[in-house]
Amino acid sequence: MTPSLSLPPSNAGLVLSAAGALPDAAPSIEIEGLQLAYAGRPVLQGLDWRLQPGQVVGLLGRNGAGKTSLLEALLGLRDTQAGSVRLFGQPATQLDNAARSRIGYVPQASDLFEELRADELLAYFRSFYPCWNAAKVEGLMERWAVPRDIEIGRMSGGQQQRLSIIRALAHEPDLLVLDEPVASLDPLARRDFLRELVGQVLERSTTVVFSTHILSDLERVAFNVAFLKAGRIALQAPLDELLESTRLIVCGDVQTVAQIDAVPGLQVLGHQHGRSLVRFPNGGLAEAGLPATLMAQRASLEDLFELLT
Amino acid sequence: MGAAIQFQINTGSAEPIYRQLMDQLRRRVAAGQWLAGQELPSVRELALLLAVNPMTISKAYGLLELEGLLERRRGLPMVIAAGHAGPARARDRIGQLEPTLQRAAAEARELGIPKPQALALFERLLDATPTGAPR
Repeated sequence: MTPSLSLPPSNAGLVLSAAGALPDAAPSIEIEGLQLAYAGRPVLQGLDWRLQPGQVVGLLGRNGAGKTSLLEALLGLRDTQAGSVRLFGQPATQLDNAARSRIGYVPQASDLFEELRADELLAYFRSFYPCWNAAKVEGLMERWAVPRDIEIGRMSGGQQQRLSIIRALAHEPDLLVLDEPVASLDPLARRDFLRELVGQVLERSTTVVFSTHILSDLERVAFNVAFLKAGRIALQAPLDELLESTRLIVCGDVQTVAQIDAVPGLQVLGHQHGRSLVRFPNGGLAEAGLPATLMAQRASLEDLFELLT
Repeated sequence: MGAAIQFQINTGSAEPIYRQLMDQLRRRVAAGQWLAGQELPSVRELALLLAVNPMTISKAYGLLELEGLLERRRGLPMVIAAGHAGPARARDRIGQLEPTLQRAAAEARELGIPKPQALALFERLLDATPTGAPR
């Protein structure tokens, strides 16, 4: 995108700074003030989120936090009450065909046509996409041993999931949205899928949003993690940075709470079951400024999940 | 010829993956197992092998290059930098052990273990290890 003269200065500045980092790049995903409720029960509450091209982001949240709703809304598959979602700079609900063909999606529940066989399904989808990579499809069908001659409805959950992944990768998408893509895969198949994902990122700098409860997978491939809590993205940061800049403090008594409050500049990011997660702003190393009596400990991704979701 | 260059990672740890890679390389080089001139797998190869985000590998390689442990050569694989032809001097190797012992010391203090007992335990562990470093 080139900045146009008719843009107000504030917008022009944004465009210019984005262009400085990566030429030709509207954010892959840009969500502002998104609100979504089911029968009056709020799920997303003014959610803002932005993903730059090439980012691989792990989306973390508890069961029922609204991860699937968020992923569906960002693909324009759900009616929302307020806010906006833009993909590659276009409104998600009015994507043109070119933008649509840049997206790959692996839904949580299989949405494949159950009465078709795998070959029929792939031939059907192939007709919609100009850049269908038949060689890649053949390779993956072979490697992942997806049966071609039985109806999809009669395949195992794992086989259906593999086929769904193959379908999502077949047209070389620039944005991949993965909603629990590996839940029915065995550990070896999961590792192989992760390799495929890494290959995709290496070859095409694909933007990836990856929701899963298998934290070890996320740790490998997600450079950034985003925590969905109370209908908003409570925090998004590079995982390395979070692991290094945060500390856990067992905080069962009023004294410790007072001690934490007394440390200048210390942020409390979360508190659960008598443990607090703290960090100095600017990602500064936590140790130096923390009194030894607080017995701060390093946190793992699982700790972060517990305290931030 | 040094030992083959292979990396292992543990997920679920508080240690970020790029740190694990850096620590492994530092230890192997200090021990003289990986030697100057040995070629590293490319970012691409290692990312695919470990199923890890390529940016994580680049970050580890980049920081190790800044430390002078790796050398980048145009269009060729990275190598262990010149000057690491054998085991590091004892002082440098002890320096690498320090962070681990610092953690152990902190835990000993938290547990209220008196100094002589903590030292006796460390001594016993050193003696018990069959493949311990030469003393």
